[in-house]
Formats: sequence, C-alpha cells, structure tokens
Amino acid sequence: MNFLEMLALIPLFPAAGALINGLLGRRCSRACISTVACGTVGVSFLLSLGAFYQLLGRPEGQRLVEQELFTWIPAGAGELSSGAISQFLVQWGYQLDPLSAVMILVVTGVGFLIHIYSIGYMAHEGGYARFFTYMNLFMFSMLTLVLANNFVVMFVGWEGVGLCSYLLIGFYYERKSAADAGKKAFIVNRIGDFGFMLGMFLIFTAFGTLDFTGVFGLVETQAQAGVLASGDATITAICILLFVGAMGKSAQVPLYVWLPDAMEGPTPVSALIHAATMVTAGVYMVARCSALFVLSPDAMLLVAVVGAFTAIFAASIGLVQNDIKRVLAYSTVSQLGYMFLACGVGAFGAGVFHLMTHAFFKALLFLGAGSVIHALSGEQDMRRMGGLRTRIPATFWTMMVGTVAIAGFPPLAGFFSKDEILWRAFSSSQGHVLLWAVGVLAAGMTSFYMFRMIFLTFLGKSRMSREVDSHVHESPKVMTVPLGLLAVGAVVSGWVGIPHLIGQYLHHLPQYFEHFLSPALAHPAAVEGGHASEGLEWGLMALSVAIALLGLWLARRFYLTHPALPEHLVSRFKHTYTTLLNKYWVDEVYDLLIVNRTKDLANRLAGFDNRVVDGAVNGSAWLTRLTASVSGFFDYWIVDLAVRRSDLIYYLSFPLRRIQTGVIQTYAALTIGGILVIVGYFILT
Amino acid sequence: MSVTDIVFILTAIVTVGSAVVVVVSRSLIYSVFSLLFTFFGVAVLYVFLGADFLAGAQVLIYVGGILVLLLFGVMLTHRLYNLNLTTERFQPIAGTLIAAAVFASISLAAFKTKWKLVGEKELEPTTQQIGEAFLSSYLLPFEIASVLLLVALIGAAMLVRRRTDV
Amino acid sequence: MNLGNLDSLTFFYPELILLGGILLVVISDISLKGLRDRVNPLLTLAALLLALFYTLQTDHGSAMTLFEGMLALDNFALFFKAFMLVAGVLVLLGSLHSEELAAVHQGEFHALLLAVTLGMLLMANSAHLVMLYLSLELVSLTSYIMVGYLRSDRLSNEASMKYILFGAVSTGAMLYGFSLLYGMTGSLDLFAIRDALLAQEVVGFNQVTLMLVVVLTTAGFGFKTAAVPFHFWCPDVYTGAPTPVTAFLSVAPKAAGFAILVRFFLGGLSQPAGEQWGFISGIDWPLVLIVVSVLTMSLGNIAALTQNNLKRMLAYSSIAHAGYILMGAVLLTGTGLKAMLVYLFVYLFMNLGAFFVVTVIFNSEKTFELQDYNGMFRRSPFLAVAMSIFLLSLIGIPPFAGFLGKLYIFGAVIDQGLYWFAVVGALNAAVAAFYYMRIMKHMILENDDRPPTPLQISPLNRALLVLLLVPNILLIVFWSPIDRWTANSITLFGGL
Repeated sequence: MNFLEMLALIPLFPAAGALINGLLGRRCSRACISTVACGTVGVSFLLSLGAFYQLLGRPEGQRLVEQELFTWIPAGAGELSSGAISQFLVQWGYQLDPLSAVMILVVTGVGFLIHIYSIGYMAHEGGYARFFTYMNLFMFSMLTLVLANNFVVMFVGWEGVGLCSYLLIGFYYERKSAADAGKKAFIVNRIGDFGFMLGMFLIFTAFGTLDFTGVFGLVETQAQAGVLASGDATITAICILLFVGAMGKSAQVPLYVWLPDAMEGPTPVSALIHAATMVTAGVYMVARCSALFVLSPDAMLLVAVVGAFTAIFAASIGLVQNDIKRVLAYSTVSQLGYMFLACGVGAFGAGVFHLMTHAFFKALLFLGAGSVIHALSGEQDMRRMGGLRTRIPATFWTMMVGTVAIAGFPPLAGFFSKDEILWRAFSSSQGHVLLWAVGVLAAGMTSFYMFRMIFLTFLGKSRMSREVDSHVHESPKVMTVPLGLLAVGAVVSGWVGIPHLIGQYLHHLPQYFEHFLSPALAHPAAVEGGHASEGLEWGLMALSVAIALLGLWLARRFYLTHPALPEHLVSRFKHTYTTLLNKYWVDEVYDLLIVNRTKDLANRLAGFDNRVVDGAVNGSAWLTRLTASVSGFFDYWIVDLAVRRSDLIYYLSFPLRRIQTGVIQTYAALTIGGILVIVGYFILT
Repeated sequence: MSVTDIVFILTAIVTVGSAVVVVVSRSLIYSVFSLLFTFFGVAVLYVFLGADFLAGAQVLIYVGGILVLLLFGVMLTHRLYNLNLTTERFQPIAGTLIAAAVFASISLAAFKTKWKLVGEKELEPTTQQIGEAFLSSYLLPFEIASVLLLVALIGAAMLVRRRTDV
Repeated sequence: MNLGNLDSLTFFYPELILLGGILLVVISDISLKGLRDRVNPLLTLAALLLALFYTLQTDHGSAMTLFEGMLALDNFALFFKAFMLVAGVLVLLGSLHSEELAAVHQGEFHALLLAVTLGMLLMANSAHLVMLYLSLELVSLTSYIMVGYLRSDRLSNEASMKYILFGAVSTGAMLYGFSLLYGMTGSLDLFAIRDALLAQEVVGFNQVTLMLVVVLTTAGFGFKTAAVPFHFWCPDVYTGAPTPVTAFLSVAPKAAGFAILVRFFLGGLSQPAGEQWGFISGIDWPLVLIVVSVLTMSLGNIAALTQNNLKRMLAYSSIAHAGYILMGAVLLTGTGLKAMLVYLFVYLFMNLGAFFVVTVIFNSEKTFELQDYNGMFRRSPFLAVAMSIFLLSLIGIPPFAGFLGKLYIFGAVIDQGLYWFAVVGALNAAVAAFYYMRIMKHMILENDDRPPTPLQISPLNRALLVLLLVPNILLIVFWSPIDRWTANSITLFGGL
C-alpha cells in the first residue's frame, strides 16, 4: 500500500467517527461509541505510521508529498503590494514533510492512547457520545492543521481546534465556572486569531500566494537574489502578527490566562488538547514559518524573550498552586515558553523536539493526575491527598517517570530536549547568556514544583477525609495501560535526539531528529555556533542537572523531611507568596482594565442602540406612514369591490401596511403610475 | 374622403362607443350586449388590416363562444337587476388622470415613432399561410398553446369539483 | 446553428418527459382511485428527476436554436433548467407532508406542479417573443390555480383572484411593449430584433418609444420577479397561498423571470461582445433597472421590518432578495451575470429552507404569527437551529451559503465602479439582518410560561430539512464547483 497517497484519509477517519457518533451516538451503546471513536483514531495512527516509514524510505531531498483534493476558494484576482495582479486561489490540500510527519505521529499516537484512557475515565459520566464526538472532531481539526499545505486550510484547522477546545472546556456546561472558562478561552484565542489572519492577509499581498511551498520558495529565492534583506519590515510585521496568533493558541504571556482555567474540562481533554497537541500548534506554526522568521532578527528576539519570560513566569506561579491540575497547567505554559525560546534563538528543530517529548510526558502526567482524581472521587486539592504510593502504585510509578522526565534527569526524554534548548540559547548567535540563565532558573523551578506535586500526592501521610479514603482504588486497566505506554514514551522518546556531545561516545550515534527535520526547517545564517568548547558544553549540561537536583532536594526538604518549613517561609515572605498564589493578580488586572471597560462600552452601545438605531427604525416607520397616507389618498378614491370586505382588511389596521391595501385596483393604478413616472423621467431627460 | 374611410370611421365610433357603454352601464345585461358590438367592430378592423382569418376567428370565438358564455353567466346570476357595480367611492379624477397619461404616451408613441412599414399589400387570403406557419416555423408555440389550454382545463376541473369530493 | 422541428426533439427530452408526466398524473388521478395518492407523487418525482437527469446530460456542443429559432439552447438555459427542476423536486417533497394541502385532493396539484415547471423550462430558453409570452402565460396561469388551490379557504381564493387581475395588467403592458417593438423592427425573433435595432440607428422619438418598450416589458418581467413597483400582488398572494406554493413562487418563477429578463435585455437589446455587453445607443435601460433594483430591495426590507406574520415577512424578504439579484443583471458584465447565478443558486436553498420551517411549524401549530414562535428552541432545538442557519444564510453571514451570494454580487458591482450601488446594497443587508434576527430572537431567547411540549416533525420533513441544510453549510467548502458551473453558464447564445 502506498500510504503517502492516502494522506487525506488520516484526518478523514476521525471526521467520519465524529459524524457517526454525532448523528447516531444517542442511539448506540457506550461500547459501540468508544469502538468507533478509538477505532477511527487508531486507523489514523496506523496510516500515519505507514506514511512516516515510507517518507523515511525516500531520499532526503524528496521528502515532501503534496496532495490537493479540490479547489476550495477561486476568489478571483487581487492586487499585490508590488502592483502585480495575482489569482487568489486556495486548494484544499495536504502535505507531508518531516515536520508534519512528526506532528501527525505525535497527534495520532498520543491522541489514540488518550482516547483509550477516556473509555475508562468517562465510563460513569453523562454525555458520552457528545464527548467522543468532540474528541474525534478535534482530532480531525488538529490533523488538518498540521497536514495543511497552505495557510488557509491551516487556519481552518486552527479555528476547528479552537472550537473543539471551547466545546470540551465547557463540557460540564451546567457548571458556571466551566462555561465561563470555555468563553474565556474562546475570547482570548480570538485576539490571537486576529493576528494570525492579519498575518495571512499580509503574506498574500506580499507574495501573492498562501501555499507553504509557494511562499517559502519565493522567500528563499528573493532572499538569495538580495531582494529581501534580513530585517525587511514587511517580513518582520508578518512574523510578529503570526506570533501573536501563536501566543494565543500556545498560551504565552500575555495571552496565557485561558489555559489554567481550561482545566475545567474533563482530564483527558486537558491531556490531549491543553498539553500534548493543540497548545503546541503555535510552536508548530512558528517552526513551519521558520523561513520567514530567520529573515527577521527582531521578530526572533521577540519570540525568544516572550518564550523565556513565559517559562519562568508560569513556573514561578506553579510553585505554590494547590490544585494538581493547575500545577500541570502552569507547567505546560512554562514548557511552551521553552519551545518558543528555542524557536526564538533559531533552534526550530530543538523546539519541535521538545514539543514531541513534552507531548509524551505531559500527557502522561495529566492522565496520571486524572487517575489520581478518579481514585479520590473527584478530589483535586493536593493538600487533601498524600500517601497514595502504595494505594495506587501503577499511577504512582508512571507519574514518577513523567516527573523525572520533565525535571530533566538523564537519560529520560526531557533531559535531552531541554538541554538542547538551553545549550542553543547559550551558544547560538541569536541567543544570550541571560536567556540561558532564565531557562536554567525555570528548569530548577520545574523540578521543584513537580517533585512537590509527587511528594504531596503520593508520599507522606494521608490527609484525606475518611469518606474519600475508603473509596481509593486503582484505575482500571483501560486507564493504566495507556499510562504505561506513555511512560515508555517519556523514557525513550528523547533517544532519537541525543546530542553529538554524548552520541560520540555511543558508537557515534547521530542526532537523528534534527537531521530528519532539517529539510523542512530554515536555519539562521550563523546559528551553528561552536563558539564554545566541548568542556563548556559538558559543564553547562552538568549545571542543568545539578539545578534539577537542587529542586528535588528542596522539594524533599520542604514537603517530606521538614513539613513546617513552608509555613515558616510563607509567613516570612507573605507578600511574595500571596502574589504567586494569586498568579500575580493578572486575571484581576485584566478584569479591571479590559473586561470591565468592554462591559462599559457594551452598555454604552446598548444605549446607542436604544436611542439611535431604534430611532432609525421608528423613523422608517414614519417614512412608510407618509407614503401610506399618500397612497391612502388613492385608496380612498378608488373603486371598491367585494374583495375589500375580507380578512385581509385586518392588515389595513397597521399603518405601515397601509400601502398594501389589499385592493387590486390600487395595485394596478400604482403600478401603471410607476410605469408612467419612469417613462416621464426618461422623456424629460 | 373615400367610402373606405367613412366605413372605417363609423366602425371605430361603434367600437369605442360600445366599449364605453360596457364600462359605464349600470346593467350587466346592457354591458354584455354592448360587448357584442365591440367584438364585431374589432373584427371589422381586422378586415381593414387584411387579416381575414383573424376576423373570422374573432367572430367565431368571441361572439360565438365567450359572449354566449357571459350571457349564460349573467342570466343564471341572482339579483340581476339590483346589482350596483359602481361603489360609493367612485372617483373619476384620479382614474381619468391616469387614463389620460397612458393615452397620451401611447398615442404620442404611435404618431411620432418611425415605424417599420411593409407598404401597400394586395389583399389575399391568409388562412393557408397561417395554417402552414402553425405546422412549420410556429409548430412549438402551437403545441405549447395546447398545453396552456390543458392546464386551463385542469384548473376548470378543479374549480367545478364538488366540495364534498375535496 | 438552427435546428428544425424534428431535429430539435433530441434536445427536448426534459420538456417531453414533463409533458408525459402531466398526462400520466392526470390519467392516474382519474383511473387509480385507490392508489392515486401514492402513485401521483411518485410519478411526479420520477418525471422531475428524469427530466433533471436529461438536462444534466444534455451535451449540445455549441449553443444553438431549436424549433426554427423559437428556443435558444445554451449553458445559461441549462443552468436555469436544472435550477427549476431542483426547485420542483424540493417543493414536491416539501408539499407531501403539508397539513394545508393534506386537506384537499392533491391529484391536480401534481399535474400543475409539472406544468409550471415545464413553463419555466421554456421561459429559460425562449428566444422568440411569441414563445416568451406563451411560456410566461403558462407559468402564470398555473400559478394562479396553485395559489387558489385551497378552495374552501377564503384567503387562498382571494389571493388567486388578485394574482389573476394583477397578472392581466402586467402581461397586458408587456404585450403592448412587444407590439411596439414589432412595429419598430418588423420581427418577433429576439436576435432579428437586435440586428434590426443595430442596423437602423435608433434616433429621435424612436429612442423614447424604445424606452417605453423597456419599461412596459419590465412590467411583465417585474411581475414575475416581484420587483418594485410591480410587486403589489406579492405580499397578499404569498400570504394567501398554501405555504409550499408560496415557497415555490418565491423561488422558481422568480428565477424564471430573471432568466427571461436577462435573455430579453442582453439577447435582444444589447450589443453582444465578449466580457462586457454594450447597450444599444442612447437607450440607457440599465439605469431603469438599477432604479428598480434599489427601490425593490429598500422597500422589501423596510416593509419586512414590522411584519409579525412570518409568511408575510418572508414575502417582503423575497422582494428584497429580488433587488439583490437584479443588481447582478444590470451590470452587463460576465461577472455580474455569474454573481446573479450564484445568488440564485444559494437563494434556492436558503429561502426554501426558511419557508419549509414555517410549513413544518404550521403543520402542528396552525399559526404564522411571530409570537407563537416563542420558545421554539426548547420545543425543538433542531428546528430552531435549522431556521437560524437559514436566516443567517439569508442575511449573508459566513460561513453559510448566503455569504457567497452577497460576496459575488457586491464584488461584481464594485468591479464596475458602482460604489454607491454596493453601499445601498450593504445598507440594505444591514437592515435585513434586523428582522431576520428578530425571528431568531423569538425562537431562541423568548420563552413563554407554558411548559415546552416537544414539536412533532415527520421523518420525511426532518430528512428534507437536513437536505436543505447541507448546501447551506457545505457550499462554503465546495465553492469551486459552483464557481466553475456558474462561470460556465454565463455563455448566452447571441444568435450569431
């Protein structure tokens, strides 16, 4: 079978699943619904695997497959900024290159496991068919996003995942907080989408096409011909606008506020959409447009700074959160910051590498948290957990693997990807030692809050109520098996990208991952540094492991050996603590500055509506009444037949309808009068 | 003024005059009988235009068919003589104005336009020409006219269906 | 190429099938007393579908005239023929479970539906004034009967009566215009008329007379398309007629009216030339139509604002839409014509959909009043959502199909530099949004105190609603086939 020719089927299967469950779900048994939902995603995963291997089998230069299904928008010609006329033509097309190949494997692979897990997690919940319909729809949208071969189709996927995210966050819509969180996500994302759209418009006016190959090909040739200089203003504007879109979707400061609230959705949703896949769409988009970004050092710097700031900002909030899912949510925001940091310093490959490893261990952690919540009958506050290690061992051990991975201990996945980013932040020509320092500090915090979570949840003494305690149970196989598989992924997924530094001692193991990706990505002119010696690289690597160890030690001291210490610190740094606990008051500030102002404006507009718009409508009524009184003149004088005394007379009562008297002679007279007026006008002119 | 002209003017007076009676008469019977003269007048006008077949058809269909039908309808209607067709709101001014404007524009067009004239033509029977046209170049309109009549028949059948059968 | 009577039959299958259908339905209505209620709809459906099949199959090579120059067969005509047949099928399906029609014997209804469809097919490709008049009359006469189909309903009878009287006036005016045209050119053939006008240089008072011809014939076409000031019959007739008939009238004969209008003005009164037609010297008939178009959409929308009867509101709304469609016809450009075809195509689905929801609600509620729609969302979410989609589509909000229509129309107008015309259109669209939203508000936001009782929808009606929803939602995705089809359909036979 030639899987490369069946690209379109990969998103199509989940779409079919969504359609079946959406239309027939209410009549089907739960087994049937979950079989359809998981089966379709499973098939997509197999197709993706097949396509990936066949792509791998091709020579390096030919790893790009495009498939155009049909012409979507043939909207005619448009004028470009250069004055040329270009046809605006959008094909509904998919493309597979190393970058999208990695993405579809992550999306379908992790997505499939999460779908399986959901069977167990949602077993006792209502809205089963609805849940799986949305999940499948999400898979379709996400796959469309990453497989698209032009910006418009990508935007369709982009909006599609946003819609599904909104629907799934608000899944328990009868709960007000869930409905509000859904709305918040939707609105904040609109801001980003606006940037994305403007970016797209600008790309079309600049290049006359929205196809990836077309745009990036043009950029490359123009850059080589010297038409496009590095730092070109249009390119910078495009990049910044696109990055605004990425900031919304990937929850970067200042548009990150929706993601923590998004934890109102069911936990598998948090794992799939708000950790592993959708939120990484922004990183994917920036990597996809790397050809544009490398031409704009300013935009790159912005990306790097926003990424680094988000990484440490979110990590610091994560230090003190008590809700197990919120810790993970802030951790996700922070890790996304790392990915952007990588992109910003020109290491797009490293960013995508971290995206992949993060998908494994963060999905694992979320599902593990879900398993804990499941075991504790819905309890999410870590202060009322503890001592669960022996009670739910499978969950504990898998989560432990995830924690070690994210904290960055070798040889687990997180170590390789995070270390790659830190090294590039330090060594790249676009990097800076400050960016590196921020990254290392955030890494220490990551280690601290992750182990804090493990210690509070699984170790120490139980702080559960007796009621909850008596019901603690390990999750069913259908949940723990995906956990186990993801744990394997969290260990091994980093091994495809072992840096040269270590690889040279392991039979010269090459850096597979970046090598594979490199045809699909652009590389800044002088990014391959080598400014630093091998010794320095070893030293930095050791330092980042050491700081992770420091985090671990602190967490152990605070929450295992000296439980009184946190209290002491809290009372000492009360101000800092409350600020962190309240997430730097950002939500409150937004409420004050933006939300309330918008409400004011809305109220004022409502006033305008009442006075002016309704006034205009009444005015038109007046105008019609005027015409009506003129026609009433005719009406009064014109012959009346029996027809007149009919039920239609009722309509006469309303002044506006006066012209429509119901008397046929009036109509005839008015018509002929109308003809005469038109003829008269033309005879006179 | 030749004889032809005199005949034409007389015919025109009869046609228009009887048409006026049709409209203003208070008795339906009078109206219907005046219509007889209008129809005949129109038939004579057709003869003046050399349309002999049309004149014959006019007499046969309108006088022989439609007028008789109208008469039956009138005779079978109750309250024949008390019917007041003009309403209390009859107001001639607006009607006259519109009618005058229409008349003015039409007659202006009739007199001032340069028509495409075929010139003097020998009077010859047209029946054969019409018959041939109907079966050659005008075959389709001829057939479609029959479909139109079929639809009219269906409509008529629907109208006269007994209410109990609905 | 001109084909004679016998050769033309090869290209005349759709019409012949419909004709056969009429006869079969009439015969089965008389002879199959027990089965006729089941057989007749099936026969009608089969005839329409078969005709549609042959229409889509027609491969005429190049444009030509049939029956000694009576009909012009070109892509433009094929578009409208397919359009009419699809409309016929949808209206037939919509009428099957209509409580209004269920009360009366339906045998003739199906025969009439076939006859009116036949008339519209002929309208779409008439190239001769006699055919033009005959087919128009066939459509009108059938419509009169269909409007008055509910014989025991006073409103229905009265509507029919008014329709006949008003129709007589308009058709009379049109015929008078034809006679003037014949007097000036000595021909009834559209292309011969055009050639004669081009040959003789229309000067002096002949310009005025030609103008009179334009206005008088516009009366006839305006009557069919319900354009101001020939629209007066429309609200009363739409309100009185059975709802499926109203739905039909608001779409199909209107489209036929536009077909014939374009054929007459572009085929008969314009110089044929590539992308842009020119009008025959001195006669600025597009200006007449622009004025009519502006009046039509403004009056339709403003009058619809305060209607409380859904049927009447939709009647006015359909007047307004005729104004938008006319915008495309008056530009004399290929893009304008194409925009008109796209608009008609999406209008078919959105307007039939809205009327169909009204029919379904009338079936169980026996009301057309807006306040009786309160709380519909709680009673039948499906129906309320479907109606909302049709209405949003009518407003022209993306991603629904109506957006495409507005996009093409306004795009074509702006292409011609008629910015003020586009602004008037856009303002009108904003006014229209007001009353469409009002319906949605009543259905979704307003609830009355009664506990919601679920609304019953028959499976057939539910399926038909889905069938109508699909194009409204998906056309935005499958955009290019429509684009290609309409771009292909603007080839208008010039008789050259």
